Amino acid sequence: MSDERTPSAVPADASGPASPDVGGAAISASEAQATAPAASPAPRSNPRFPVGVDYHPIDAERASAVEWYEADTAADVAAISRTHLSLVRLFVSWPALEPQVGQYDHDAEDRLADLLEAVRARQMKAIVCFFADDRLAEMNDVPWGRKRDLRTDDYLLQREIALVQRIVNRFRTESAVWAWELGNEAFFAGFTREEDLEAWAQAMREAIREVDTARAIVFGAGVETLVRECGVDARGVRDGFEYGVSRVTAPYRAYAAEGPLTYGPATYLDSFVLRAGGTAVPTIADGIGVHALDVSVAEEAAYTRVALYSALMNGAAGAVLRRWRDVETERREPYFRDPYEVLVGLNDTAGQPKPVRTEAARFARTVAHFDLRRYERVPERAAVLVPAERYEPLPSLAGLYDPRSCLQAYIAAKEAHLPVDLVREGEDLDGLMTVIVPSAGTLLAATWSALAAFVRSGGSLVLSYGGGDADPAVRELFGVEFLGDQGVRRTLACRVAQPGLVGDLAAFDAQLDLPHYAALGSSGATVVATDATGSPLLTVHQYGQGRTVFLAAPLERAIAQSDPWAAPDAVRHMLRTIYGAIASAAGAGPVIDCDQPQVEVAVWNGETADVVMALSHAAEDLTATLTADRVVASVTDITGGAVVDVGAKAFGVPLGPNGAAALRIVYR
Amino acid sequence: MTAAASMTIATAEDLARRGVVGAAVAACHEALAIDDRDARVHALIAHLMLEGDFYDEAIAAATRAIETDPDCSPAYLALGLAYDRRGGMWDQSVLVWHELAEVEPDLVTAHVQLGEAFAAAAFEEEALESWQRALELDPTEARATYNLAIASLKREGMALALPLFRKAGELDPSQDELFFALAGAAEDVPPPADPAEVGPTREVRCAAALASLRAEDLFGAADFVRLVLDEDADDAEALALAAYAYLKQQAYNEAMACSLKALSVAPTLPTALYSLGVVYARRPGLDRHAARVFITLARQAGAHALVHVLLAESLLGLQRYEQAGKAYRSAVRLDPACVRARFGLAAAHLTAGRHAEAQWEISRAAYYDTKRQGLFWRLYDAYAAGGERP
Repeated sequence: MSDERTPSAVPADASGPASPDVGGAAISASEAQATAPAASPAPRSNPRFPVGVDYHPIDAERASAVEWYEADTAADVAAISRTHLSLVRLFVSWPALEPQVGQYDHDAEDRLADLLEAVRARQMKAIVCFFADDRLAEMNDVPWGRKRDLRTDDYLLQREIALVQRIVNRFRTESAVWAWELGNEAFFAGFTREEDLEAWAQAMREAIREVDTARAIVFGAGVETLVRECGVDARGVRDGFEYGVSRVTAPYRAYAAEGPLTYGPATYLDSFVLRAGGTAVPTIADGIGVHALDVSVAEEAAYTRVALYSALMNGAAGAVLRRWRDVETERREPYFRDPYEVLVGLNDTAGQPKPVRTEAARFARTVAHFDLRRYERVPERAAVLVPAERYEPLPSLAGLYDPRSCLQAYIAAKEAHLPVDLVREGEDLDGLMTVIVPSAGTLLAATWSALAAFVRSGGSLVLSYGGGDADPAVRELFGVEFLGDQGVRRTLACRVAQPGLVGDLAAFDAQLDLPHYAALGSSGATVVATDATGSPLLTVHQYGQGRTVFLAAPLERAIAQSDPWAAPDAVRHMLRTIYGAIASAAGAGPVIDCDQPQVEVAVWNGETADVVMALSHAAEDLTATLTADRVVASVTDITGGAVVDVGAKAFGVPLGPNGAAALRIVYR
Repeated sequence: MTAAASMTIATAEDLARRGVVGAAVAACHEALAIDDRDARVHALIAHLMLEGDFYDEAIAAATRAIETDPDCSPAYLALGLAYDRRGGMWDQSVLVWHELAEVEPDLVTAHVQLGEAFAAAAFEEEALESWQRALELDPTEARATYNLAIASLKREGMALALPLFRKAGELDPSQDELFFALAGAAEDVPPPADPAEVGPTREVRCAAALASLRAEDLFGAADFVRLVLDEDADDAEALALAAYAYLKQQAYNEAMACSLKALSVAPTLPTALYSLGVVYARRPGLDRHAARVFITLARQAGAHALVHVLLAESLLGLQRYEQAGKAYRSAVRLDPACVRARFGLAAAHLTAGRHAEAQWEISRAAYYDTKRQGLFWRLYDAYAAGGERP
């Protein structure tokens, strides 16, 4: 589209920072800007999307656990407030509060009270977290516990209940407490059985509810990462809480998207994990930040920006950054790197702000201007189905392959600009128009029935062959005869037999290790594309009122298992074209289209205007052309600024590296 | 060991060697159900998990193998690779590679990996020592040379690092394959046993010359080329073959003359462009012309990753780092496993101060290099042969 038809409608400020390498002074500048006298006071926070930070009790490796929140906490809370963060997570230390059995340290309790008072004085809110395990502060290691397991030991459970009720009771009228929270990822990872986890969580939850019936209780671990970490499926437990959290842990990142943080799969991981946890309860995007020091501060800031915007654009109930201050580690031989170093924060060890703090402040200010009561996010009509086999332990490899395949499918759908969600096998498909089943080995019999009913009533289904014998349902549903697995291939060849039938597909030969390739015979389906020998690669079939698409190779798994950062462009293009074309035909396509696959777009509908957010998953400058189905009269940055007249359906949005834009759009 | 256990392990091994991962893992678990104290089986699982890039699972299985038998060298290899590829575990990695270097002192890769683990942990001197030790064991070890080049780039700048990059590039055996690919040579054609039996046509003689060159029979190739040129002194393809033969003998002036003559007849002949570009790149004073030749070659044969690598390397020499980075990226897109392109891209990133991205490219180079080597099976077979438990 030409420049004449695509006016660049966005104020420069909306493209994100021109360069992420903002020095420490920048925070002062942004603070000054935010606090400068204005015609109307700028909103400081968004109650529907709080942005906060974990405020850890100890920030130095040499400090002992008894120094719990002994630093100048009031100054820190003031600084957190100046960063426009409205939420702070505080961690309860059991040994600090109950150094001897049944003997509580009143000074420690008063310290917590002072901290909460400081939070209240700044019009902020706090999540008070019990039984978080951070190793450094040893918040669960009561010396009198005698190495009993605090997760399962009856005696310790009683002591834990007593502690929880004591603290909740003391602060139940404290308005600064927004929610109570139980555990964190590291704590819950110590469970080996779902029954134990359920019993513990139930006991603690009831203990809180006996004292405080009003406040929300947060389940402190992400269900997707937890099942990867310890094999325990906590979905059922989490669904009994008012809030859940999702958090990309270091092991999960190493498993799912080990690689550069500012482009490619890693930039989609936060929202994938958020959605993978399900939508049964509101979920806070938690632990946002990097896990290692081998990235520059600029990359750290850029990654954090992407994670924060991803959270907002994908329906999180809030966002919490992973640490206020870097941990000061002891410099010792033989290795200077220390596990605690990976706890990186918004400020360095001296308390000086890092560029990531500027990002957090800027994002919080942007969110504060977004009145979520007046807008409703466009519902997702397309979903990637996460197979139940994903929960199988070894020797089944499905539990290892499937999440990666689902992540790649999710990325491809995002690249096609589909409003897309994840749906777990067995969940209701109501409200969806397109379902994508990426490279699954097996599906439950009930799922095949549900998918058939879904398609019969007008839905679209895209399924890629995942190896092994195809289910008998494939014949009728997809109109193909499964003739066996042709096995491993080193290249993927695509020859288009029916141009235009499924988007704008093009012929190509690409190097890609395919673990399987289904030999197919026709049983009513139309062959859209074949391999170089004429064997069907892509088929389309009309079934009932809907359409089904069968891909003869597990492309999503092949991309995930080869090199997701260097997957052939042609293959990625093919995948997103298929997803996009099928979803669009089914009414699940993009609300606002975009010419740049790396740009994620989210839309909220309002009565008089819409809000569009565009987020670049690329590490370089680009201009995204957004195209609406109506003529756009004007565009404004949601934080304010000049109204830009458009007068066309399409307009350009310049985005910096990993840049984001939040725009209010008025239609003609 | 029972017969049933032996048979199950043999099945698992066979499946693993054939890359049938799912069935191999199932067979391994079957074997563990019979005897869970067989280090080989745990090592096999570690290898299979590593092949699938499931690093935590690989670490768990390799650790179990080592716990079962501390001399299980394939498990050390799998463990070290899993630590390195997973990232963030450099301290453990150093210990593992140290251990493996002691168990298998002649294993060059152990020293290269140890150096990379040291480098990641900011122990630069120790890293250099490890890579130099690797080169003592195998002077043709390209990755050690590349790592030295990267270290030199970090410490002394591109001017001093460039010769090392060039040296590492010259160690790359796949560059010869590029020439044969450009010439359209079939891989499975042996050189003629008796030159007298080669047919009298130009095409047959050229094909015989190519086959002889691939077999490094340079004199045999020269005979066939001469026969073609006797009939037509302006045969560009034959001249390009002659240029390559001279290039292999480091007779650069002659190679240059033949290439230029060929290009005067066929200005875009890829084989002639290749030889001329390589000669330019290797001759001090002429290297600044190499980029222009390789740009032309990239236009003619852009589907070959190594063509972009050659172009990028010539651009590095001209200090045009951004353009070099673009060319390297093109190469990586075409062939993600191209170790040479990965290291070059790392160098380009470093010149732009993008250290994290450079480190990623280096780790991917290590990833593909170790995958290509197939070391696990060498160690496994040796271990299985000598490590039979009573």
